[in-house]
Amino acid sequence: MIARLLDGVPKRALILLGLLLAFLLVAPLFVGNYILSVLILVLYFAYTGQAWNVMMGFAGQLSLGHSLYVGLGAYTAAALYVHFGIGPWAGVWIAILISMAAGLVVGFLAFRFGIGGVYFALLTIAFAEFTRVGFDHFMWVNGSGGFFLPVAQYSVNDVLNLRGSPTMFYYILLGITVLAFIFCRWLLTGRIGYYWLAIREEPEAAQTLGINIFRCKMIAVAISSGMTALSGVFFAFYYNNLFPEQIFSMNRSIELILGPIIGGVGSLFGPILGAFVLTALAEVLNDIMVALGYELPGVKLLFYGFCLLIVVMWLPNGIWPPLRKWLRLGERL
Amino acid sequence: MSIKLTRRQFAASAAGAALVAGSAPFNIVKAQTGKLKIGSIHPRSGFQAQLGIACQRGIDLAPKVLQQLGIKADVEIMNADTESNVDVARARAEKLINDGANVLIGAFDSGQSSAIAQVAEQKGVPYIINVAAAPQITEQGYKFVFRNFPTAPMLVGDGLNLMKSVFEKSGITPKTAVFMHVNDTFGQSMAGAIKAMAPRFNLPFQIVETIAYDPQAKDLSVEIAKAKATGAELLMPVTRLNDAILMVREMVKQRWEPKIVMSPGAPGFYEGQFYKTLGKFSNYLLTNVPWYNPRSAMTQKLLDQFTKTYKGELFELNVGFSFEAVMVAVLAHNAAKSTAGAALADAIRKTNLTDHVMAGGPLQFNEKGQNVNIKSVTLQNLDQRPKVVLPLDIAEDNLTLPMPSWQKRT
Repeated sequence: MIARLLDGVPKRALILLGLLLAFLLVAPLFVGNYILSVLILVLYFAYTGQAWNVMMGFAGQLSLGHSLYVGLGAYTAAALYVHFGIGPWAGVWIAILISMAAGLVVGFLAFRFGIGGVYFALLTIAFAEFTRVGFDHFMWVNGSGGFFLPVAQYSVNDVLNLRGSPTMFYYILLGITVLAFIFCRWLLTGRIGYYWLAIREEPEAAQTLGINIFRCKMIAVAISSGMTALSGVFFAFYYNNLFPEQIFSMNRSIELILGPIIGGVGSLFGPILGAFVLTALAEVLNDIMVALGYELPGVKLLFYGFCLLIVVMWLPNGIWPPLRKWLRLGERL
Repeated sequence: MSIKLTRRQFAASAAGAALVAGSAPFNIVKAQTGKLKIGSIHPRSGFQAQLGIACQRGIDLAPKVLQQLGIKADVEIMNADTESNVDVARARAEKLINDGANVLIGAFDSGQSSAIAQVAEQKGVPYIINVAAAPQITEQGYKFVFRNFPTAPMLVGDGLNLMKSVFEKSGITPKTAVFMHVNDTFGQSMAGAIKAMAPRFNLPFQIVETIAYDPQAKDLSVEIAKAKATGAELLMPVTRLNDAILMVREMVKQRWEPKIVMSPGAPGFYEGQFYKTLGKFSNYLLTNVPWYNPRSAMTQKLLDQFTKTYKGELFELNVGFSFEAVMVAVLAHNAAKSTAGAALADAIRKTNLTDHVMAGGPLQFNEKGQNVNIKSVTLQNLDQRPKVVLPLDIAEDNLTLPMPSWQKRT
């Protein structure tokens, strides 16, 4: 399996990945809490972007309602923890199953009845929206009043119950981001990965070659929604409060996909680079403006818009593919 | 001239940048005495920007007004924008503390406030919530979190109690009511709270119809026609600004004139844009809401300064509560003579202010850090501005009911 993962990846790329991982592993030892919290945001968006990338980047299905799976994952694990005392590591599997089921329903409706492209995107938005409205009235999780997890003060990190310091959350998120990266590489180098790429590039041609398009798309939706649910579980236990208006919002869906779009849809490292560029650089820009004596609320959103403009006009495949070429890292990452 | 960057130079620059970024935290020196650094953290961009900016105005005015009142205010205000987002709120709270904030104040929204509270508690930095109503925030056993704003049940309870006072004072007791509410988080939670709490208050009217409408609605003609058809004597609306304007416009158009229009506790009717848009039709509407005490000398001082600084803007509750939060922090700093978190938190816990801006009893915090003495007032729009009409001891004008006909207004 390792040979399959490494196949075609230049040594130079492995060294750079190793250096990045080493930097991220030791970062909490020498950065302050603020930078650590920014790095948590970066990893969160990198991971969730990777999950979305499976559906859009690999299988070519545009979802603009991925907040649905974040929200379902978050609420499921949080409700199981609060109402039944089921820990997050057990609850996460149920959360993943529920999100996958929701994804499969959306996928079945769309792919069975030939809904694609923009109409599929609209369907994903619709599902996220009516789930939000449903949760506004779902009093078991306190409806629109917000669902709060108990916040115990900790003296030691309780990894089993995901109660602890930001450093603990950082390492957990780093772990799942690395695993997601490896998992996606494994998917892409397998039969299903090639099927997805064929479907993404030319569905009719893929079908004539005997690829079961419906099945492959359903697998992509299931994997993507399940992976996204995990980020929801993390969100619930890190922030400890959930509001339908926030977690299922269209804004969140857009925020999740900006990273991969800027970084490079369909590439493995694109979502990670996109998350770094958007989150970390936006924070740096904000700090520079403040240091220069300019207080500009919303400057980050302008920066997002600027990045999108650049990407749309000059880098339609995202930042990563040309950077990858320039760094001579091959085409596999 | 073109500058060519080689891969080696790129790698070296990136490593250098990482080193600089990484070493930044070592520059932080946290002072224990001297100037009080207040971290003001509000949504100043995104969908809550307008309200966050109102809060910020109260914060910005506070040091000057406190000095005018003879209160030593040796403070530095540090600002942060949550972008109306929970994730950002948490990171920005970390940044403010990292930059040396001794006290945090914010954040208008319950989700954002809850995320900030966790950071403040972990770091032992006192956090004063100026606006956020979710009761759970002060139920977590926090030692460094204080709230000078009513919880949602307090808001609804006060709102319903004041309704009875209005009926008593005006001599008009409606028998039937229509409850109309915007169908968003706030509207839903108000609807839920009213439904749960109304039976306990023995209200004299029966709610004959509940009508929910979309927050993005561009037309409320059907909803108003439905409400009018019930013949209800009381309209209880829970609105935001835009839908409040639409609602009243439609009532005028359809000539629906219930005896009383009274919001049990929601924005809309008392906002500047409401008066500018509706003019004479904005008058006589009622809102039960936490509000400033117009009889307080401190309020008058703040109001004067606000009017001078923000010409044409309306002084409202977000400004008042934000000002009070700074005042609490400053007085605690003066009493503790320290900027250490524990000393400040102890001093805040001992706060006991009989003279302050917002209506209600003394500004005190209970063992959970909640000020339970805040009281709502009944506002009536008179002369195209909100005026306190109840309770009588702080009233600015007389309650005028029933509402005059839309057509007879001048």
